[in-house]
Amino acid sequence: MSRLERVDDLIDSRLMARLDSLDVVSRKIFTGKIQGERRSRRRGQSVEFADFRNYSHGDDLRFVDWNIYARLDRLFLKLFLEEEDLSMVIAVDQSLSMEGGDPNKFDYARRLAMALGYIGLVNNNRVSLFGFGSSRIERLTGMRGRRRTREMGRWLLDRNADGVGGFTDGMRTIALGGQGRGVLLVLSDFLFPDGYDKGLAYVAGRGFDVFALQVLAPEETDPARHGLAGDLRLIDSETGRETEVTASTAVLAQYKRSLETYVAGLREFCVRRSITHQLVETSLNLDTLLLDYLRRRGLLQ
Amino acid sequence: MTPPLILSIAWLTPFAASIVALSTIPPLIALYFLRLRRARRVISSTMLWTRATQDLRANAPFQRLRFSILLLLQLLALALVILAIAQPQVDLGESQAARVVFLIDRSGSMSTLDGIDGATRLAEAKRLAADRLRALHGGGLFSGPAPAVMVIAFAKDGQLLCPFTDNVAQAIAAVEGIEPTDETTSLLDSLELARAFTTVTDPDNASPVVADPPAYELFSDGRISDLNRTVLRAGEKLVYHRIGKSTTPNAGIGALAAARNPDRPDEVQIFARVVNWGSTAYSSDLEVRVDDRLRAVTPKPIDVPASAIDARGGIQVAGETQVVFPSLSMPTGGVIEVRLAQNDALVADDRAAVIAAPPEALRVAVVGRGAFVIRSLLEGMSLASLELFALADWNAKVRADPASPDAFDVIVIDDAMPDALTRGRYLIFNAPPASAGVSPYGTKESAIVRSVRDEHPLLQYVNLDDLFIGSMQAVAAGGDIEVIVEASEGPLIMTMNRGSLTYVYVAFDPMESDWPFQRGFVNFFANAVTWLAAGGNSVADEPLAPGDVAKARLPRGAQGAMVRLPGGEEVALPGADASSISYGPLRLSGIYRMHWTESKGQLGPTQLAFAVNMNSRAEGRTETAQEINFATERVAGVQGGGLTESALWPWLLLGALAVLCAEWWVWLRRV
Repeated sequence: MSRLERVDDLIDSRLMARLDSLDVVSRKIFTGKIQGERRSRRRGQSVEFADFRNYSHGDDLRFVDWNIYARLDRLFLKLFLEEEDLSMVIAVDQSLSMEGGDPNKFDYARRLAMALGYIGLVNNNRVSLFGFGSSRIERLTGMRGRRRTREMGRWLLDRNADGVGGFTDGMRTIALGGQGRGVLLVLSDFLFPDGYDKGLAYVAGRGFDVFALQVLAPEETDPARHGLAGDLRLIDSETGRETEVTASTAVLAQYKRSLETYVAGLREFCVRRSITHQLVETSLNLDTLLLDYLRRRGLLQ
Repeated sequence: MTPPLILSIAWLTPFAASIVALSTIPPLIALYFLRLRRARRVISSTMLWTRATQDLRANAPFQRLRFSILLLLQLLALALVILAIAQPQVDLGESQAARVVFLIDRSGSMSTLDGIDGATRLAEAKRLAADRLRALHGGGLFSGPAPAVMVIAFAKDGQLLCPFTDNVAQAIAAVEGIEPTDETTSLLDSLELARAFTTVTDPDNASPVVADPPAYELFSDGRISDLNRTVLRAGEKLVYHRIGKSTTPNAGIGALAAARNPDRPDEVQIFARVVNWGSTAYSSDLEVRVDDRLRAVTPKPIDVPASAIDARGGIQVAGETQVVFPSLSMPTGGVIEVRLAQNDALVADDRAAVIAAPPEALRVAVVGRGAFVIRSLLEGMSLASLELFALADWNAKVRADPASPDAFDVIVIDDAMPDALTRGRYLIFNAPPASAGVSPYGTKESAIVRSVRDEHPLLQYVNLDDLFIGSMQAVAAGGDIEVIVEASEGPLIMTMNRGSLTYVYVAFDPMESDWPFQRGFVNFFANAVTWLAAGGNSVADEPLAPGDVAKARLPRGAQGAMVRLPGGEEVALPGADASSISYGPLRLSGIYRMHWTESKGQLGPTQLAFAVNMNSRAEGRTETAQEINFATERVAGVQGGGLTESALWPWLLLGALAVLCAEWWVWLRRV
């Protein structure tokens, strides 16, 4: 498959049409900076009744329920849910380890980020994109509305997977960046030499509803079926470290066990911190992922 | 003393091994080079691969052993290589002893033609023994010092052909020089012979010490007659190289006899017994040849039943058939030979021969007293003529014609002594032939017999236990006189054979004893007349067995004594001036003919034939024994001399190489 060159390569009109009906679901109700389209736990001025409470001195008399006062001769204040906007942060791993696989992991992650961002824009959420993969964090923040779609696409096309590490720094930057409370989607293979735990810990405790989408290529999930054979000298694309491997049945089986252990460890880590983990293989059709997998996982509705 | 452990690998085919090594090792190493050359490949992260390989390395010694075809193949290859290097001594017949004695059977059964391309068993044994010698001295990477080897060929007795030597060429030459025989098989003599070379006699030690028990390598078909008397001593090891096939049948002539009809001396009756050692019945015609001319054939093939296991003894008993031929007209002497028309794998026992003496129409003269008893005995025999001479008449006759004694087959001298005994065959009673080797020194009274040579043909059916002699001549026997009966007072009956002069001397007057009243006297008289008429060579009448020695008495002055072997070869016999000659042992069966000239210009060659027959009862069983049973030990046979097994290591290595290739192929298929 040729690499991505145009915004249409990221998301085509057919997919856009199908995504128009989707919305991002947050398990939490967040406080936005402006009035948005989703309920907040803060009591506000929406039309949706939330509760009553006793009147106290200084309360706005407009919210006094006079019908109850007439029946009970006591003042009660009506409380309404306030509707707020959703902050949607998409963090794309652009380290060198993403530059591999067939289909390419980085391309897949950018197309996924494009589709999720599009859903966010269409639903008038505040969408921010981050690219991490080195000490330098690249970002595109504060987008809202469908008209920002092309801008978001151009930004994603300009990204290259050429960084090294940077996951922890990237997550810390996002956590401290004042993006507001919202949904954080981390698109990465999570194969970091220095580990993923510190980075995820930064964002897990900051009020984000975090979704960890682990993007792996088929060559990584089942190397035996995808041409990995013989005596090999494997070179790490990020660190340049070399590992000599004789791809015997035993070694391949052990690799699969290591991968399963690693993925299971990541999933357990996420569960403990209320992070939703989803393993995504790049061979999976993007439509299927968005319209089936992620809906079933509760990210989209 | 514990023999040193020798791991012997022979380079039997160094050239072929070099070719195999050059054609297989470099490709194999090249394959391994290919295997170790790793392809470079950039991947997203090596983190998980590093973990996987580390886990494998860390856990391998402790993880549960899983079935792996690769592991199996590698273990198999390793086992084959270890086996090849270890050279299992017991199974491969390799010798660990410092001294090895090669015992090669050359008995009659080893002439059986059931080897490769119709070769005899002896040829097969020689070939295998030579290969074995080369293997023992072949050297090699893992070989120790080669053992010293001794070569003994054995049949009826053992013959040392090569004492202990390190010179393999000498030993092989000795092996290749072994000639076949038709003798019976005896191993004990050969073992004793070998032990004599391995026993150290210490003057300070009463019992001999076996310094270094040798290993015996026996190349035989296992048909050895004296195994039940043979014991392997402590430390001695024997490898029985089985030669021949265990299914080779054989039939042969077990016995042959011929006798003249007493009523019609010109006719000869022939008796034969055919034995069959095969597991199936045997059928064949029998031929009778006289002096190599076919004289009779059985009217229909004779049937011999198959051999069977004797229910009582548990031993195998040959099937037998007796054959009696119709009388043959044979007015002269000659060689009677009986042959089986259908030859089998062992030819030597398919024929047998006897020597028939000429019909005895004897001419007898009696000189001297002519006692009634003697005359009566002679008149009772069917003689051609019987003439009586007074001593003076006989002396005059001889003086007139010195050759006149030749006109009589036997001359009986009764209590008288002619002037000269120069030629002729005499039976002499009482008067000592002082001019012909006997020295009288008086007379003795009341003599009794002290010793008797029972086996002498003169004494067949003659019992002298009750003989009482009133008076006898006291004589001293000369050097060429053979005493066959000795009394307490000196020689009593003696013989002398000087070729032209032969006599039997009875040193007493039968009339002075009770002998004429005994049956033995009649038998003795008949034996003596017959023996003398045959020239004193009674041996010619009875067939010899292979391994026997043929003896004959020669006349004084006989020249050019020769013997013609069954194959037609002429061999000069030494000692022409001796009164007797001998030749032997007669290794092969067949007809041997001795001949000589009595004296230059006087008499032509005199011929004497000997028939040597292979004893088919002893050697006719040609099925190779699978094992041999000594008195206290059982030794299983090794097929083909064990040489195939000793050359097993190349096959082991080839097998290991094949397994390695299979392992490499499986490995490739897996990755």
